[in-house]
Amino acid sequence: MHRLLFLVPLLALAACDDAAETVRATVSVAQAMSGDTTGYARADRVRPFAFPADHGPHPDFKTEWWYVTGSLDATDGSGRTFGVQLTVFRSALSPDTTARTSAWATRQLYMAHVAIGDIGAGRFYDEERFARGAAGLAGATASPMRAWLGPVEIAQAGPLGPDGRVSLRLRGTAEGAAVDLVARPEKPLVLQGDRGLSQKGAGAGNASYYYAQSRMATTGTITVPGGEAVPVQGFTWLDREWSTSALAPGQVGWDWFALHLDDGRDLMVYQLRRADGTKDPLSDASLIAPDGTKTRLDAAAFSLTPEATWTSPLGGEYPIRWRVRVPSQGLDLEVRAAMPDQELDATVRYWEGRVSVAGSATGSGFLEMTGYADGGSSGARASAVPE
Amino acid sequence: MLARSSRRYLLGHPWLTALSILGVALGVAVSVAVDLANASALRAFALSGEAVTGRATHQVVGGPGGVPDTLVAPLALAAEAAPVVEGNVRAAADSSVVLGVLGVDPLAEAAFRPFLGGPGDGGIDPALFLTIPGATVLSAQTAGDLGVETGDTLGLRVDGRRVAAPVVGVLTPDDDRSASALQNLLLVDVATAQEWFRTPGRLTRIDLRLPDDATTALARIEPMLPAGVGVRPSSSQAGTLETMTAAFRLNLQALSLLALVVGVFLIYNTVTFAVVQRRQTLGTFRALGVTRGETFRLVLGEALVVGVVGTALGVALGVLLGSGLVRLVTQTVTDLYFVVRVRELDVSAWSLAKGAALGLGATLLGALRPGWEAASTAPASALRRSSQEDALASGAGRLALAGLAGMALGALVLRIPGGVALAYVGLLLVLLGGALTVPWLTRLYARAVRPLAGWLLGPVGRMAARGITTSLSRTAVAVAALSVAVASTVGVSTMVTSFRATVVEWLGSVLQADVYVSPPATVFRRGGAILDSSLVADLSALPGVADVDAVRVRTLDTEWGPIDLVAVRLDERRADLYRYIQGSRADALGAVQAGVLVSEPFASRTGLGAGDRVTIPTDGGPRTLPIAAVYTDYGNDLGVVQMDEALFRRLYRDPGPSGLALTAAPGVAPADLVAAARTRAEGRQQVAVRSNRELREASLEVFDRTFVVTSVLRLLAVGVAFVGVLSALMALQLERRRELAMLRAQGLTPGELRATVLTQTVLMGLWAGLLAVPLGLALAAVLVFVVNVRSFGWTLAFVVSPSVLVGAVGLAVVAAVLAGLYPAWAMGRADPALALRDA
Repeated sequence: MHRLLFLVPLLALAACDDAAETVRATVSVAQAMSGDTTGYARADRVRPFAFPADHGPHPDFKTEWWYVTGSLDATDGSGRTFGVQLTVFRSALSPDTTARTSAWATRQLYMAHVAIGDIGAGRFYDEERFARGAAGLAGATASPMRAWLGPVEIAQAGPLGPDGRVSLRLRGTAEGAAVDLVARPEKPLVLQGDRGLSQKGAGAGNASYYYAQSRMATTGTITVPGGEAVPVQGFTWLDREWSTSALAPGQVGWDWFALHLDDGRDLMVYQLRRADGTKDPLSDASLIAPDGTKTRLDAAAFSLTPEATWTSPLGGEYPIRWRVRVPSQGLDLEVRAAMPDQELDATVRYWEGRVSVAGSATGSGFLEMTGYADGGSSGARASAVPE
Repeated sequence: MLARSSRRYLLGHPWLTALSILGVALGVAVSVAVDLANASALRAFALSGEAVTGRATHQVVGGPGGVPDTLVAPLALAAEAAPVVEGNVRAAADSSVVLGVLGVDPLAEAAFRPFLGGPGDGGIDPALFLTIPGATVLSAQTAGDLGVETGDTLGLRVDGRRVAAPVVGVLTPDDDRSASALQNLLLVDVATAQEWFRTPGRLTRIDLRLPDDATTALARIEPMLPAGVGVRPSSSQAGTLETMTAAFRLNLQALSLLALVVGVFLIYNTVTFAVVQRRQTLGTFRALGVTRGETFRLVLGEALVVGVVGTALGVALGVLLGSGLVRLVTQTVTDLYFVVRVRELDVSAWSLAKGAALGLGATLLGALRPGWEAASTAPASALRRSSQEDALASGAGRLALAGLAGMALGALVLRIPGGVALAYVGLLLVLLGGALTVPWLTRLYARAVRPLAGWLLGPVGRMAARGITTSLSRTAVAVAALSVAVASTVGVSTMVTSFRATVVEWLGSVLQADVYVSPPATVFRRGGAILDSSLVADLSALPGVADVDAVRVRTLDTEWGPIDLVAVRLDERRADLYRYIQGSRADALGAVQAGVLVSEPFASRTGLGAGDRVTIPTDGGPRTLPIAAVYTDYGNDLGVVQMDEALFRRLYRDPGPSGLALTAAPGVAPADLVAAARTRAEGRQQVAVRSNRELREASLEVFDRTFVVTSVLRLLAVGVAFVGVLSALMALQLERRRELAMLRAQGLTPGELRATVLTQTVLMGLWAGLLAVPLGLALAAVLVFVVNVRSFGWTLAFVVSPSVLVGAVGLAVVAAVLAGLYPAWAMGRADPALALRDA
């Protein structure tokens, strides 16, 4: 859900290369992007989901993503472990749908993030890419389900399941490292929030449509620079979300967990942090039973407590050990970063990587934290406040 | 003591010193200015290239239709790849403002053209840049020039069609080089560029960034490319522009050297005068034990003072002159070859240093002989004034022989097949050889003209004529300098006249239709803008049109640089228009199926002729076609390949004709047809509808404009020569003060004295003018038959205009009269007693 904050500062910075400070946004950009939702479709009511259509793009909404994260372990006996993030973002730059003659003309901007953490080696490879949603450079389709940007691709790899679930072929590269995986859903599709409508801020329409394939049995290979392809297997998690949301003022960042517990349950939990350090009441969680049954948990039902921090060499202090408690479900978990440095040095810096779970249940999963980095956070923070 | 003597001398003759300085200054100024203009033009090419090439290591290019844009996505998987659509547009408000357009994908650009996202409060905002049709980003400087800022909408014309360009950002490059590179450049999205230039699905090229060892990457990329599309290293663009204009620039350089040659004469003259003037002082110095070396150094030192001051002034003047010249040069290049966006003077230290070295070198060269003479004369004879005259009188014959030898050598050099530079060496030898024969010829002339002058003017005339011979060392140099300068005028004018006459005749034969319609091309001689297809249909259907010829012009990227491809309906009527140099009308008609005709400059540049085969890029890959004939063409020095339009359509994508030629039906007045065509085009595409006469005039106007630079340089050379003659004659007459004072003492009236002086200068001017005629014609012949053929591959008719010749002689006489006025006035006024005492 939270990832939509990225897209705001990103648009202003898209043209620059790796040094984010080489280009500054013009006033007009800030104005253009300050949450003006006029002309876009809004997620303002519960609606039925339809597949395969909803696997594809929803170009009338401002933002959308195909988001895969997962924990993978080597099957060659080497004992190596990896974290993988593969994301394709779509962002409508304008609600204007005037037809144009050039095939390059488009109002859809795509961004892809790929991160591969080689845990044992302590190496983290990440790469950010931008492309227009035209001329074959980037795009998305519903049938077959496919979202791609250059070498980054999330694509349907089998027939559509009865509830719309799909197997996926996942491919991407980052700084010379590459993943090529096949992910098969083990549970039905999960509609997050209220039947797929996930409220983000006060007011109708400040919400997203949100579904997930929380547990996908995944096999394939991971190649690190200069190394051989390592056969791996594990679990990955697909999040699909689209919205035209302006976020609530005062939100400075968020902490989001997607955990695969060894007992077959999957826990998704996030908190929106406000400027005063408190948890926004719109923070949310859900627990998915092995049979796919979802239990929705509100902000009062869980607590997230940081217990240790890591200071990024680029600036900013991230909590890398958390206490996750969901008393109603009997969960008291200690979540630790598999390695401290899993920070993506993207246009907006954030931390997203593999974690291990201990305590009342064991397992592994993914953690995303934003709003902690000094440089990037200011952009994210500023943009989180509609003007 | 010696230095004091020098200073007293230089300050004692302020006019002469000033004129010498002016002469050197003008000579240096002209060479510096031309060098700066040329260097600036080259830098402009490099910068224009840099902006559009960026950091690309390779480019994927195709035929004249460009490359398919669907190649970008697969290529982007194999390498960093960026699409580029290039073109030119005009400002709607001022059609003389031509702007470059660079269509890019900002999301792929960072690696290629970092200036697109330079620091500052600008930059490209993709949200606006990608989504607003026509969204444009430009540099702050260009925005200022056009008077627009972010939020304004710039009105443009693309091939005569009006488009709107909302300015969504202004770039402030952090260094001057980037600022220059962005001059007159509009950055737009690929989509906008495709829409403006009406090339959907096509790109000008795709830029690639490959690793230093590109072999592996290329091996991966090449199989992905369809036929007719290839990869090449990207360094070649600036090189191509340089090659295109090499001949043009070399000719400018050569003309500027002409001014310097005249300047050397001038210095020689001044220094010689200084030596002769002070033979007594120098003789006394020598008698007092001043060594030869010291005398030599004294003379050279004086020359150097003049040289240093003159050079310094000349360099400064050259920079001023250069800023004017660079505009003329870039305008010419834009008229003839390609749009030069960067039009500023680049004052390079190297150009200035070259100018300074040239000025000082010329000074020393000019001072060498007089200095050596001053040093080598024995003390006793140095005291005698006539010693040098005697030496020269006996030497005139030998000099003339040396001159003849020089001219013969020059003629030989001209026969050596080779480059343009060699032709100029030959030309210089002929010119200098001619100058060397001047003293001998002048003596003959003075003898011959004495009775005539005597008969006309009595003793005054005889005296004036005799004076030429008695001061041959001075008079000969003055005459030589003036005649070299005037000869260069005659030569260049005759060349231009010949060229123009040839072009007029050629235009008359090839322009046979009544009405010509074309969108305004950004490069006049090349065209290539596309006519709207609906307009083509409407114009062809106009009542009163008997026949329609469509012409299609495309630029081919060949191994010989850019070549224009012209497609026409190659029928009998068309075949009749041409004059064939190789092959015949029948051969030309035989080429309709699968052959081409090539223009004379093309044949001359490539060494190919009728019967050979030429390989040209097509949109389906390279094709080898037989050359059926070579025809004359004075419109394009880069070369033209011509084919039948049916063949063109088989080999190329055809977006439509770039021009229409309408022939009026019998009984229809061409003027009415022009009016009808204009009405029909009104409010649609902006097109030039011209009658036969108007097109002819427009062509000649561009022709004339391209020779403005030449005329300016020629006038400057004459200016230098004029200063030279002025100073030579002034020196001469001042030197004869004592002799003239003697005549005054013997009873000559001031009026008679003035008449003597003036008559003498007029006689000299006349002689210089007369000598300039054969020398100038020889020069013209070299320019027409050697330089032009070698530079551009054009055979021109040799046309001598009597007015040019009469004008040249007149110029020489007027220059001489003007130069004689002051000495005549001064002589007449001088108190003979004082003059006698002083001298």
